[in-house]
Amino acid sequence: MSLLRLDSITKTFPGVRALDGVSFDVEAGEIHALVGENGAGKSTLMKVLGGAYVPDSGSVSVDGQRLPVGDPLAVQRRGVQIIYQELTLVPELTAAENIFLGRELGGPFLARRAMVEQSQRLLDQLGADFSARRRAARLSVPQQQLVEIARALGGRSRVLVFDEPTSTLPAPDVERLLALIRNLREEGHAIVYISHRLDEVFSLADRITVLRDGRHVVTAPAAELDRRSLIRHMVGRDLEEEFPPREPKLGEPVLEASGLLDGVDLTVRAGEIVGLAGLVGSGRTETGLALFGAFASSGTVKIGGEPVDVRDPAHALAAGIAYITEDRKAAGIFPQLDVAANITICALDALIMRGPERAAAQEAVRAFDVRCAGLHQRAGTLSGGNQQKTLLARYLLRRRRLLILDEPTRGIDVGAKAEIYRLMNRLTDEGLAILMISSELEELLGMADRIVVMRERRTVGELDRSEATQERVMEMAT
Amino acid sequence: MNTRKVMHFVAEYGIFVALAGLFCFLAISKSDTFFTTRNLTNVLRQNSHTVILATGMTLVILTAGIDLSVGAIVALAGVVCADMLVKGHGVFFALCAGVAVGGVAGLTTGVFITRVRIPPFVATLAMMLVVRGAALKYTDARSIAIPPAIEQSFSALSNGITPVLIMAGVLVVVWVVLARTRFGRHIYAVGGNPEAARLSGIRVNRVLLGVYAGCGLLAGLAGVLVASRIGSGYPQAGELYELDAIAATVVGGTSLFGGRGSIVGTLAGAFFIGILNNGLNLYQVGSYEQMILKGVVLLGATSLDLWRGKDQS
Repeated sequence: MSLLRLDSITKTFPGVRALDGVSFDVEAGEIHALVGENGAGKSTLMKVLGGAYVPDSGSVSVDGQRLPVGDPLAVQRRGVQIIYQELTLVPELTAAENIFLGRELGGPFLARRAMVEQSQRLLDQLGADFSARRRAARLSVPQQQLVEIARALGGRSRVLVFDEPTSTLPAPDVERLLALIRNLREEGHAIVYISHRLDEVFSLADRITVLRDGRHVVTAPAAELDRRSLIRHMVGRDLEEEFPPREPKLGEPVLEASGLLDGVDLTVRAGEIVGLAGLVGSGRTETGLALFGAFASSGTVKIGGEPVDVRDPAHALAAGIAYITEDRKAAGIFPQLDVAANITICALDALIMRGPERAAAQEAVRAFDVRCAGLHQRAGTLSGGNQQKTLLARYLLRRRRLLILDEPTRGIDVGAKAEIYRLMNRLTDEGLAILMISSELEELLGMADRIVVMRERRTVGELDRSEATQERVMEMAT
Repeated sequence: MNTRKVMHFVAEYGIFVALAGLFCFLAISKSDTFFTTRNLTNVLRQNSHTVILATGMTLVILTAGIDLSVGAIVALAGVVCADMLVKGHGVFFALCAGVAVGGVAGLTTGVFITRVRIPPFVATLAMMLVVRGAALKYTDARSIAIPPAIEQSFSALSNGITPVLIMAGVLVVVWVVLARTRFGRHIYAVGGNPEAARLSGIRVNRVLLGVYAGCGLLAGLAGVLVASRIGSGYPQAGELYELDAIAATVVGGTSLFGGRGSIVGTLAGAFFIGILNNGLNLYQVGSYEQMILKGVVLLGATSLDLWRGKDQS
């Protein structure tokens, strides 16, 4: 009998059937991966499991006993713990206080020492190298995640759900986390693993379930699936190839930068995609922001051979440099403004003429294939892929010479990723120079004509497309 | 239509429905006292300075800020204007001096908010104290009477429908700024996502400076109108006006978190509160009960705002 079983779950929102009779189960001592594109219903299913949503029909049971629906506490008491993608620690509290948040030990007075000791023991078991007395705000992202996991384990968990746990982790920490999850499996936990990263899914999972458009597509042992068939199940058709072929026609150098940060030298030619690789903290994003005038740095920047003063983003844009953020929600999209206003925001005249403004936005929506209900749709309600295309439309509405893309496909599903890549090809064909910052090596190897590697805030080497391999990039980066 | 859609409609257009409902109710039940030219003109005139203040407040709140100093600016602008008249300057000069005082106060607050990064609540609270104190010091806490020789031409500002026309002019100008200019669009952008605004090449500090200076200018204008109506520069004028302006803005659907709201909503919010007060007076409800009711309206409107925010995330 399965430890956790979700049976024929159906959940509808106005106008959308988010889940349509989906069943899912996981055994003790098993890792069951749940995959699907954005909007496939993974998050909704986990919210039903966690008690945040009440399903229209269907049941959730642990050990064959049905749980009351829509009751988060009952779910946790039965040992089901969900570790969400967004970290949920209270920054002002210590690790130990976070671990025992909501189930503090002691009577009217807190048993602080006991909580610290138990927390430290849990953290040590997880291989943590920090004190349980440290405040959460002072922990790094991987350390905070360990605290989250310790919190889940402290609740006597039997079922652990990991929702995109590696999306913000640097590579070495990813390996450590995957090893930790395997350990938890050996200890007899039932584990649900949700991820966009298919290589992780294949390296971890015993079974894989694919959802698409709110429906269950397939559940199979991982050994019976390969990457290609999995992607076919996810998108419902054969994806010709993940990375469209590139035939770059290189022109004159567009960007020549030297001496940024602690020694970053870069050249990008017209029609070229240069990939910027490096570990988290190596200064990739700072380099992109410095070129865009949004991060103070010494050094010189030349565009088309002319020195430019990138004092602030307005100057950079005027010089033909555009930067698209890695964090669409916090630094990209204006969620309450509509698609049209989001696109035209950095190309407005002092007086706005509605007709020409909407015409320009409409044209950009078509050129960048933004799928929206209309120019009036609020940008906050677009999918990740369409938000990214909206940003491309915004920054390329006026002619630019250099486009800096920071993690261009983060949080975007497989189908939309391929569209972004094809767009990049089209843009370089038109003569644009692209600097692509990415922590996904496959993406760099698949799309960049040249990969520049960074370490400790300086460039340490570069590899041509023909000679670049994952190993060689990692060797330079560490 | 299901419940969700109804709720959505209420959240989006509720203030207009509520205003129309209230108006119709009073027009029918008190047709002899409420629905008269005299009473309606009075309502318009009495609320004109609140609307002007709320218009400036809307600009500030759209950037997720707040301005607590506008009530004090009303007083200082009034006394400066009155003093200029006493000293024999022309009406136009005195008027400009009053408005300019407001602009300078707003600009100063803006500098502290953008350069020193003081939170708007604290910066404008401090400015409220400074400005109110300055008004009291300037006058030794006495009101400055407008000299009889020019009282007639000065009080023309608050006679008949003149204040209503001034209010309408302000509304049109600010509406155009918000809906049809780059500066207006940038206000929404800065309020909705300041970091995205910066990365879109918007000079966020300049937008904020403009907004606080604009709010101060409008407060100065309201102060001059108030001085004209009471016929003197009164250093205690405008007390708690900032709260009326905030209430009108919020009831009108502008989000305190910034990035969402409109001038038309603020106008409706201000007149909802104004007509409610008028109606309650006609029903001879006491002013204490009126206060309680105003609070309840504010709570309701803010709850709707929060519910709507959640709905769209």
